[in-house]
Amino acid sequence: MTERLMERRRGATRIMTGIGAVRPAGPADEVWQRATDGFNRWVAGESSGLDDLVAVMTPVLWHVVRSYRLSESAAEDVVQTTWLALVRRRAAILDAQAVGGWLTTTARREAWRVAKATNVAVPADDQDLAPMLPRQRSAEDAVVQRDEGDRLWAAVDGLPERCRRLLRIVAFENRPDYRELAADLEMPVGSIGPTRGRCLAKLRVALMHSGATGTGEY
Amino acid sequence: MSELSREDLLGIVRDVWEERDPVPEHLVAAMQAAAAVAASDLDLELMELVERSTELAGARGSTAYTLRFVHGDTDLLLRVAVDGDRSRVDGWVVPPEPMTVRALPGEVPAPYAAVVSDSGRFELTGLPLGLLRLRLEPHDASRPAFATPTFEI
Repeated sequence: MTERLMERRRGATRIMTGIGAVRPAGPADEVWQRATDGFNRWVAGESSGLDDLVAVMTPVLWHVVRSYRLSESAAEDVVQTTWLALVRRRAAILDAQAVGGWLTTTARREAWRVAKATNVAVPADDQDLAPMLPRQRSAEDAVVQRDEGDRLWAAVDGLPERCRRLLRIVAFENRPDYRELAADLEMPVGSIGPTRGRCLAKLRVALMHSGATGTGEY
Repeated sequence: MSELSREDLLGIVRDVWEERDPVPEHLVAAMQAAAAVAASDLDLELMELVERSTELAGARGSTAYTLRFVHGDTDLLLRVAVDGDRSRVDGWVVPPEPMTVRALPGEVPAPYAAVVSDSGRFELTGLPLGLLRLRLEPHDASRPAFATPTFEI
């Protein structure tokens, strides 16, 4: 965690000292390209293309679906339903570039439907308990990593729930459809953009206060 | 002190969730298996080439010919026109049926696709020359996809 963060910092600093308008290509861009490649190969008859598509997009679907407060097993079911829908309805995807978006949209609809049907309102599920579980690391790393990791987590976890869900979806998706997001989060469409901005600002402040990233070298 | 950019913040959000709520270890393999089983039901059926005609060379060195394939009750008529290093395919599915037609040129997967119109027509343009096959995917999910044998443009 610490190393990855340091790497991002270095990358970000480099960009910032260069042309201000250029943003580094996020990992999401690479994910989406790999999904498109896998889809194209699958469509061309290579079954390994489907394997790759599933491998690269399943983690994205997991995080998107889990932001709907589904239990782990319910979330797994939703992810599987999404993959079966893709296989059955492949003909509906004309633009291979859109396969990632099609998958996340399908997963969100299904997650929303399942969450609604089961009336999920249990905040204390496994994801809230996970931070309390001891993690196995080398003793040396553990002190530093837990420190940094816990501070980052505390900043994200301390956000209002709506912010936490919205940012998790936005972080893992590639340009999510605001209209659907708004309906899911029970917010007006026009407020998604501003809310996202406010949520990011809250997170920035929380991180600075926690000292997790607000050190002088940044 | 520089501010954390939007991308930095979203990257932190990703890292945090990947650490705190990781994808269950078995999930990717389980999903690959589920998808592969579902996909194996979609085994392709091959169309049969029943007619092929070459037309005279047209203006500017362009040529065109027609192909006719049959599969069950479905007839597929193709007019393939070559212009320079690109080609276009005008197709006609009889009887008309909602389906997606994909062109699969050679070994390289490429995103050429079209939906058959109500009258059974479709067109694919800007195709590279060389070996090509078309796959027809009925929108009726209970109907399996079928494909033409490979032909050369």
